[in-house]
Amino acid sequence: MDFRFSEDQLVLVESVRDYFSGTHGPEVLRRLDVDGNRDPAIWQALVDMGLTGLCVPEAHGGLGMGLVEAALIAAECGRVCLAEPLVDTAFVAVPWLIAKGETDKLSAIASGDHKVALPHVLNPWVADGEGKPQTSVDPLRNLAMFPASGSNDDRLLNLGALMNAAQLLGLADAMLEQAVEYAKIRTQFGQPVGAFQGIKHQLASCAVAVEFAKPVVWRAAAAMQDGLETAPVHVSHAKIAASDAAMLTAETAIQVHGAMGYTYEVDLHFWMKRSWALVGGWGDRSYHYKRLDAAVLGGSIPIGPEHTFA
Amino acid sequence: MHLHYTPEQEKFRAEVRAWMEAHVPKEPLVTLECKEGFDQHVEWERTLASGNWGMVTWPEEYGGRGLDLIQWLIFEEEYFRAGGPNRANQNGIFLLGPTIMEFGTEDQKRRFLTPMAKGEVIWAQAWSEPGAGSDMAAISSKAVRDGDHYVITGQKTWSSRAAFADWGFGIFRTDPDSKRHKGLTFILFDLNTPGITRRPIRQLHGETGFAELFFDEVRVPVENCLAGEGEGWNVAMATAGFERGLMLRSPGRFQATAKRLVELYRAHEAEASPSAREAVVQAWGAAQAYAYNTYAVASKIMGGGKIGAEASLNKIFWSELDRSMHRTAMLLLGAHAELKRFGNGQINQWLEGYIFSLSGPIYAGSNEVQRNIVAERLLGLPRVGAG
Repeated sequence: MDFRFSEDQLVLVESVRDYFSGTHGPEVLRRLDVDGNRDPAIWQALVDMGLTGLCVPEAHGGLGMGLVEAALIAAECGRVCLAEPLVDTAFVAVPWLIAKGETDKLSAIASGDHKVALPHVLNPWVADGEGKPQTSVDPLRNLAMFPASGSNDDRLLNLGALMNAAQLLGLADAMLEQAVEYAKIRTQFGQPVGAFQGIKHQLASCAVAVEFAKPVVWRAAAAMQDGLETAPVHVSHAKIAASDAAMLTAETAIQVHGAMGYTYEVDLHFWMKRSWALVGGWGDRSYHYKRLDAAVLGGSIPIGPEHTFA
Repeated sequence: MHLHYTPEQEKFRAEVRAWMEAHVPKEPLVTLECKEGFDQHVEWERTLASGNWGMVTWPEEYGGRGLDLIQWLIFEEEYFRAGGPNRANQNGIFLLGPTIMEFGTEDQKRRFLTPMAKGEVIWAQAWSEPGAGSDMAAISSKAVRDGDHYVITGQKTWSSRAAFADWGFGIFRTDPDSKRHKGLTFILFDLNTPGITRRPIRQLHGETGFAELFFDEVRVPVENCLAGEGEGWNVAMATAGFERGLMLRSPGRFQATAKRLVELYRAHEAEASPSAREAVVQAWGAAQAYAYNTYAVASKIMGGGKIGAEASLNKIFWSELDRSMHRTAMLLLGAHAELKRFGNGQINQWLEGYIFSLSGPIYAGSNEVQRNIVAERLLGLPRVGAG
């Protein structure tokens, strides 16, 4: 029993975070918003870091890592509000294809030549797919109505929900940080607004929500990785915890920004809108709540102090 | 990340379970906030000690078993699974004990830890004063050096367990010219020392769990000072870290409450509202989240890490979770919520628990103070009043 990430996992996260923080700031999102949403140079950089092949077995040209590593990197993608379809392709589609034994496209995915947008019956549309365009509130999402009905495979749904939850953690972290930075520099009544307890306490409540959503998501990733029978319950738990933390943080962050938060000029809106989009995707809150309800009250997961890791 | 127990850990769990099943009282004890209940709970401490379960993480030479924090968590899970009583000596084993382990001399460890683990000496805390509650650095009770003694004069209040306990610990101003966090010293004292008067305070539920302590030239030997004169604030902050961050409220307690809440919901399902149903499911989720987080903290400490200001996140989370679970239970009980005993004579433990849960966001540093700590030390926001 060890609820820590390994040194290798931490090094991986740090290297990706360092890369993003040096190259993928809000100005990139603003440029994409004007210039057509996708940039082959960004995609190529993700490929060069090995991220498209993160979960692809080494025999197919990838790094052969698991869902815990994928979830960690998905959180980093959320943190920088990455628009490129890395998470859907590399962390949702790849593990699903591997589970189904379909390996023919894996090396093309690892090399960055093949992107996959998988439809699921619970998602009426798909980002970066082909079909009639739909306009999302998130300006960088590139939604398309999927022409045929999607899969109703539960494993696909669980992978998508898990990775949305992980991205929401990063989004929430980033929104909290933006609100804190703004509260430090915006002065009113002769002091930074962040010195007022009315602001501090709201931001502290966000920190609590995010802090306690994180281990739920990591627990779900480990449960999926280990193939636990109860993994779907953990995924639903993670999706709800991360969604609630992100929604709370988004609303608090705009409030802390005051009127500036209500503008298109402040960066916050990209993260907030991505959060709204991901909260509803791969099973909305009601869907995952019902699964949790059925498990907890229906008795399909053992509960009590001795069942922490059921 | 490896979320499986080893065979040795499973074996340990089975050992704890068997012992608890054989020894935990079948009938709930009377609340430890009155003399009769306190004595019952002290008796239970001694029963625990007879099985060498007083404090499993301490070295064997001090009455422990030398186990690690994961084993402690397993022990706690089984303790709460079995419905183990509240620990009369929680101020000792969970707060003072770890502090002595970190700051105490070899002599102090020998003197204080073993009787603590064995339930022979029950400890009270003495932090707050009438003028120093959330603002603990405003402490004014004095300890004046006189040869090889301190002479203590002043007043402490809200001292939990002090109505019936044997010993107490707190911080006192040893440098009369000092202000705020400086010049404070952490001192342990026998509550029966001449000059100490205890005035039990009747609490919300009508019983007397905590007390006021009046010190009138109380002579305490200098060797009862922990970590040196003037170091009191740092030592107290370490104690508060144990209190808020890890030991005082292990997750098993809340997981057990969540499980009882599920059972209560099932009994009231026919008339319960959908919002009560969702609150019950959320309670399970939050208790689990707290457990995962605690395992993460324990793993971090075992790997050489420390608990810092994030202990405040923890304290906010468990205290508000406890209150919300009990509130949900009160709503589910409906008209029966107000009864101190149900028609069948059974004590309404949800009512007792709800009343107690209201103190959670206040004790161990109010949640307003915790939110300030989170905002200033974790998020880096400016201190109140900073220009």
